[in-house]
Amino acid sequence: MAVSVLVSRRAVLVRASRALVAFATSRRLLRTSPPSRAFAKELFLGKIEKKEVFPFPEVSQDELNDINQFVGPVEKFFTEEVDSKRIDREGRIPDETLDKLKSLGLFGMQVPEEYGGLGFSNTMYARLGEIVGLDASIAVTLAAHQAIGLKGIILAGNKEQKAKYLPRLASGEHIAAFCLTEPSSGSDAASIKSRATLSEDKKHYILNGSKVWITNGGLANIFTVFAKTEVVDSDGSVKDKITAFIVERDFGGVTHGKPEDKLGIRGSNTCEVHFENTRVPIENVLGEVGGGFKVAMNILNSGRFSMGSTVAGMLKKLIEMTAAYACTRKQFNKNLSEFGLIQEKFALMAQKAYVMESMAYLTAGMLDQPGFPDCSIEAAMVKVFSSEGAWQCVSEALQILGGSGYMRDYPYERLLRDSRILLIFEGTNEILRMYIALTGLQHAGRILTARINELKRGNVTTVIETVGRRLRDSLGRTVDLGLTGKLGAVHPSVADSANKLEENVYYFGRTVETLLLRFGKTIVEEQMVLKRVANILINLYGMTAVLSRASRSIRVGIRNHDHEVLLANIFCAEAYYQNLFTLSQLDKYSPENLDEQIKKVSQQVLEKQAYICAHPLDRTS
Amino acid sequence: MRQLKLRGVKALSRSHTASWELGRNSNPRQSVSPKEPRILTASLRAAALSSCWKHNNEEDKVSGRLGEPDLKSEIKGTGGCLTSSSMSWAQALLLARGISRGWRGICGATVMGAPFPQVPLQAPRGLHCSAAATAAGSSDSWLAPPPPEPQKGPTKALAFHEELFQRAPEGTRDKADFVRAVQNFGQHNVHKRGHVDFIYLALRKMREFGVERDLAVYNLLLDVFPKEVFRPRSIFQRMFIHYPRQQECGVAVLEQMENHGVMPNKETEFLLLQIFGRKSYPMLKFVRMKLWFSRFKNINPFPVPRDLPRDPVDLAKLGLRHMEPNLNATVTIYQMPSSTDSTGAADPAEPHIVGIQTPDQQAALAHHNPARPVFVEGPFSLWLRNKCVYYHILRADLLPPEEREVEEIPEEWNLYYPMQLHLDYGRSGWDDYEFDVHKVEEGPVFAICMAGAHDQATLAKWIQGLQETNPALAQIPVVFRLAGSTGELLAPSSGLEEPSPPPPEGQEEEEDDQQRQHQGQS
Repeated sequence: MAVSVLVSRRAVLVRASRALVAFATSRRLLRTSPPSRAFAKELFLGKIEKKEVFPFPEVSQDELNDINQFVGPVEKFFTEEVDSKRIDREGRIPDETLDKLKSLGLFGMQVPEEYGGLGFSNTMYARLGEIVGLDASIAVTLAAHQAIGLKGIILAGNKEQKAKYLPRLASGEHIAAFCLTEPSSGSDAASIKSRATLSEDKKHYILNGSKVWITNGGLANIFTVFAKTEVVDSDGSVKDKITAFIVERDFGGVTHGKPEDKLGIRGSNTCEVHFENTRVPIENVLGEVGGGFKVAMNILNSGRFSMGSTVAGMLKKLIEMTAAYACTRKQFNKNLSEFGLIQEKFALMAQKAYVMESMAYLTAGMLDQPGFPDCSIEAAMVKVFSSEGAWQCVSEALQILGGSGYMRDYPYERLLRDSRILLIFEGTNEILRMYIALTGLQHAGRILTARINELKRGNVTTVIETVGRRLRDSLGRTVDLGLTGKLGAVHPSVADSANKLEENVYYFGRTVETLLLRFGKTIVEEQMVLKRVANILINLYGMTAVLSRASRSIRVGIRNHDHEVLLANIFCAEAYYQNLFTLSQLDKYSPENLDEQIKKVSQQVLEKQAYICAHPLDRTS
Repeated sequence: MRQLKLRGVKALSRSHTASWELGRNSNPRQSVSPKEPRILTASLRAAALSSCWKHNNEEDKVSGRLGEPDLKSEIKGTGGCLTSSSMSWAQALLLARGISRGWRGICGATVMGAPFPQVPLQAPRGLHCSAAATAAGSSDSWLAPPPPEPQKGPTKALAFHEELFQRAPEGTRDKADFVRAVQNFGQHNVHKRGHVDFIYLALRKMREFGVERDLAVYNLLLDVFPKEVFRPRSIFQRMFIHYPRQQECGVAVLEQMENHGVMPNKETEFLLLQIFGRKSYPMLKFVRMKLWFSRFKNINPFPVPRDLPRDPVDLAKLGLRHMEPNLNATVTIYQMPSSTDSTGAADPAEPHIVGIQTPDQQAALAHHNPARPVFVEGPFSLWLRNKCVYYHILRADLLPPEEREVEEIPEEWNLYYPMQLHLDYGRSGWDDYEFDVHKVEEGPVFAICMAGAHDQATLAKWIQGLQETNPALAQIPVVFRLAGSTGELLAPSSGLEEPSPPPPEGQEEEEDDQQRQHQGQS
């Protein structure tokens, strides 16, 4: 009975959302402005692209009502019916839970509605992610299905492919999986060993190879598989290039290993998938033959932003649970909540949740803007920030709970185990930091080329100009990038923080210029420098997001906006000082920078492949 | 016995002079003019330095190939310092001669608790001193005490001491025998007459008994010295070397400990304190040993185990591991010695072949251009402590610059982040720290082996074994360039068109695969 009600309700919702998307597309048609410059890339030049991030993106009241209508039943389902403990214990999601998820339409959230999906915008998808995030195994299963598994078909598939596969994927009748990782190839595309060779009749590709750690590998019917194919180049030479294929399980020769036993997200299905002489029709090539690399990159880049809201949803729940504990548990006739060190942890959790939520919805809003803006850096920053925030907050929550946090009887240890994977999958945070820094530096480097070349040649005016600017900077100038002031983008309550952001952005731009001057294109090898650049950028983006959101909240008069102002100011101040420290580390000859020593230590350790210090009890005589 | 007649300060100073004249082939009994010590000091210092230098060189020869800084020679340097620092005493002593004469009178009367009168003690001192002085013909006397050639009296004692050691039956000499000999000396010689000679003798005998690394035995030897007798009791005794010959002997014991890397312990310190007192040369030596031994003990980043394995295969494994810094390298025994008899020498027909190869070397060999030959070269020597082993390398010439593949970064390589930036400017000068590094490029080494025989047949078996893990090697011509004698590095060849002159007994031969196969089977 309940199910039928749900289904009927869903139908209404789908209709509503359809109308909404139609509206959105029409709006998109109306505003055919040239693609705006991405916000994060401009930060590398010391500029704030205000139009992109101020004001904080909003959804219309209708859209909001729709979202809320949809969110209600899903939330109810997740809080009342999903048994996360059982999922974790049994290592699989029960079929009835999966069926319910399918009936709720959660398997086709971003599938366009003409193919039977819900056609959610990125913002709505993020909103739903908050609830899905209450169970990590389900969240990962759904993400593997639609954020990467079927995303290839949406992004690169042609009409026939979409019409053929998307409806059944959207309904959840088929589950998708994304097969990229191989035993020998993590992020190194060149070492992919899977191979697809064209059959003699030129109608099929014969696919051979093994893929490891495939989420949904055991459940999926549709696989997005990447394999090497021989491609004739324009100059006639034959090269191995990666091609993406849509592979159905029914093509034959597809087998999978037994599910891996994992630390966390134990309910999700992860296993090896083997392809043995699988015949893939040529119409199942996704994108162009030899164009698989770009397809893979686009899929990976597009799937990341949603982690922010997913984690934020989890954190909000966690704060509720731990706060209830802290306000009831008494020690020395005082509630835990009265101790400063416990209070600090709650502030931290609230702050992290606030920042990552702001970043996630800002990014989602930017992505929803017309013109398909490239927000891959922003998405990567959201992923890095939210995954690290999740790990930190869950760890602090366990600290609040003390011993009970460690016990299997409580859900907290599961949250800790589940959140560890966030730092690893969808590109490890280390790799994403490289991506963030290098993509931005590439942008800045191109624009600064002329200037830097002039400086290198010793053009007198440029040199004098640079020296003069440095001199002015060192004498202490107030940076004004136009965020504050009368009718500024930022509300006066957070004007101080906005000034901090401006100062950071300005000096970040200067530092980037110096770094490019110092290292040029060899900066690729300076990973520790790049990590710092990425860290600063993540902080800057977080600051922008909270400032934008808090300003909007005050101006619109959102409930508890004073709390938001507090959180925003705390985060901005902390990030500001962190940034100052990191910027000083990026200076040449800075005493804060211990990279040389650090490299030496690791070199010595790695040479011996052991900890080489003698035992403290050793003697020479 | 002329020395016995000498009395008092004169004898003291003279004997001291004599003991310092070790580096000089002059008659110690000559009277020394006041100007002479200066020259003497200089010559002695030079002698001491040269001995240090010589030792450094010798040690370097042994360990140079391993690239290990030598500890011993360093310590030896400090030993040398001891000698040279004592030189300045010679001058001071002669200058103070007059003063001490007066002082002695007072001292002799006032020193409290002196068990013996000073004068009778001069006799043995003079005696030992003369013995040492005669013995010390060369400047090396500090390092390896030569047999003292005492006159008359001590000769008998020496013969007697020899007996002590010879009573042990041949072949079964061990620590217990040595300890017994030392104890017997103590029993037969209650007054410890001739103990210095005995100690010198014992020091030389230690190696025979295999106790040269045994701290307890050294302590036992030091224990032979009578206690309290040689301790200086006055400031002047302290100032001038008190009982120089005994002190010298004590230093010799410590010196031998040092040469064998034996670290003295508390017991040694206690013994030295009892025998010579705090302000004495053996004590100084002890303190220096304590200081420098602990500093240098672990300074070698590539330590060689103290006891090397006797089995040639194990020794070869050790040597190969020692040369190859990469811990991921695999050691393969391509051929075990067919029959290892008790002496450890393998049957010449089936010598052992042990090789080492890293995964990187394997990959490099797989990518080697089959048109270019690879060379088996050797034997080269490797010293592991006192053992020399020989190894061969499989190497190729450096590719000429025009053939080198420029390692380019493929466009579609990293799925997650760009591997290169498309910018047309590189690192600026002030961040380029490689400006003064001069690098000599060498051709790649693909594998190293140690074999029981250095002939081509044996090494062909090695190559054959390598082919199992390196299939690419089957396509590559292998040239054997073996030097008949060992140790000399071949001049780097510049390819095929200019073959290096054939080494004296070397075989240089390029052979195709079949031939090698044939050889491998033979």
